[in-house]
Order: sequence, then structure tokens, then C-alpha cells
Amino acid sequence: MVSMKKIQETMMTSIFNVFEKMFFVFLEPLDEDIQYDMVTSIKFTGVMKGEIKAYLSRGIVDIMAQNMLSIEPSEITDQTIEDCAKEAINMIAGSFLNKLEPSQVFDLSIPDFEKGTGQFVKDSEATLSLSFDSDEQFMGVTLNLEA
Amino acid sequence: MSFNVLIVDDSNSMRAVIKKIVTISGFKMDSCLEAGNGRQAMELLADNWVDVIISDINMPEVSGLELLDQLSKNETLKEIPVIMITTEGSEQRMQEAFARGAKGFIKKPFLPEEIKKVLYNVIGVGDDGQYEEDSRNDDDLDF
Repeated sequence: MVSMKKIQETMMTSIFNVFEKMFFVFLEPLDEDIQYDMVTSIKFTGVMKGEIKAYLSRGIVDIMAQNMLSIEPSEITDQTIEDCAKEAINMIAGSFLNKLEPSQVFDLSIPDFEKGTGQFVKDSEATLSLSFDSDEQFMGVTLNLEA
Repeated sequence: MSFNVLIVDDSNSMRAVIKKIVTISGFKMDSCLEAGNGRQAMELLADNWVDVIISDINMPEVSGLELLDQLSKNETLKEIPVIMITTEGSEQRMQEAFARGAKGFIKKPFLPEEIKKVLYNVIGVGDDGQYEEDSRNDDDLDF
């Protein structure tokens, strides 16, 4: 049984790794609720089963898209936004599961994406709930593990 | 010598990033085809020859592993080297991909150097982007 501490550390390492390596975005952990503009999610099955969701502000995804694709703000489209968000959750999930259980194989779903503004409540009932900021742009991540 | 490359990924953005990295690495690319999944890749391969395929695993309709299976059943296409580039980076998944015919494996997130290194190694070009046979001295040829 993996401890909650290890799950949290592994998730944070995976998020930082993906954002710094692929999007050149440096995140700071945040201890408060945040506003989001879109949600992307991915399900996984294997020795553990569950779902990871990322709640993203439009501003942070704009920066991710600009940095990853070397494009100007005017070149960002809805499709680019969706692609970047889905790619981020895909990489976070893959990296997290691989670091947590290196000898195990997990099957990942195709990521889902939904636009919609809302309030990300950090102390939700999720197994793990984290929020981050980068130059006043925000992201929240939840992990839900099924028994 | 220039090469034709096929990039298979359901993300337009990821295909653009991979294409850009391959281009700036100095790799001599003649044409770059793109497909959003394994089915589209097979359709493109019916009419186009490519020298190397760079493919994601987790894609809708026909996944990267299923693409490997389809390629291996085709007498002509099975010769094309395939590099998997994926978030699913467990050792077991990697071995599964190699067993099904992959010639290289890159884990996402990746650094540009990792793509260059694996691509050059798989296709057999040196660090200068030159195909090894191009730079071989005529004296080396054995008639």
C-alpha cells in the first residue's frame, strides 16, 4: 500500500517535471482555492484505478501554448488550448503512475476536455487535491483513487 | 540523402512540437506527413513511402501498439523503423513495444536532445545529420 505522503510527493514531482520540461512554466504550490476556465481529465486502470483532473485558468494555458509551440498570443486557437490541456494531463498521469509504480503497466483513457468557469476548492473530497500558481495564473489538480 | 518522416499523434500541438524538434535538430527531412491515429497512418502509408515513423501510443481508433501490429503484417511496411513517443513509460510497456516491432522509445515529457538522439540512432545518421553511408569513403566499398 502506497502512503499518501508518497502519492502527494510523486504527483507534485510529476506536475513540476511536465510543466518545466514541456511548457517552460514554473509553478508554485498554493494553499487556497482558485478560479478555473477549463477542466481536462484522464482515467487510468491497472493495480490502481482512478482519475486525475486538472483545472486550468485560460491564462496559464495561453502561456503553455505559447511556450510549447513558440507561437504568438494571436496565433492561439481553441484547438491549441484543448490540445495543450489534454497533453498536459496525459503527461502528468503517465509520469505520475510510472514514478509511483515503475514495474506496473497502466492503461490510460483518451483525455477529456471541457470549457467552463468555476471555483476549484482545494479541500475537496478528492483523494488528493493540489493548487498552483505561476505569475498569477492558476491550476488545480485532483486525484481520485477507486477502492 | 533526405528522409520522409511520418508523425502519428492525436494532438496537433504535439505533432507540431515533434516536427519542429526534428527540423531544428539538423535532420535532413524531405517531407513530413502527419496522422492523428494509427488508422490515418495506414491510409497515408498506402500511397506514400516514409523512412521513419514517430508514433504516440495512446490514441483513439487505432493505438500506436495496434499500428505496430498492422505494420508487422505488411511485407513492405514492416521494414519502416518506428519510434514510440509516449507517456506510458513503464519498462513492461517499453518491452511490449519493442516486441511488437518498435525500434526506439521516448518518454514524454522529453527534452529535444532525446528525440534527436533516438531518431539519429534508429535511422543511422551521425551527429552532423549525415547518413552514415553518405559519408563513407569510396575505398570502404567492397566490390
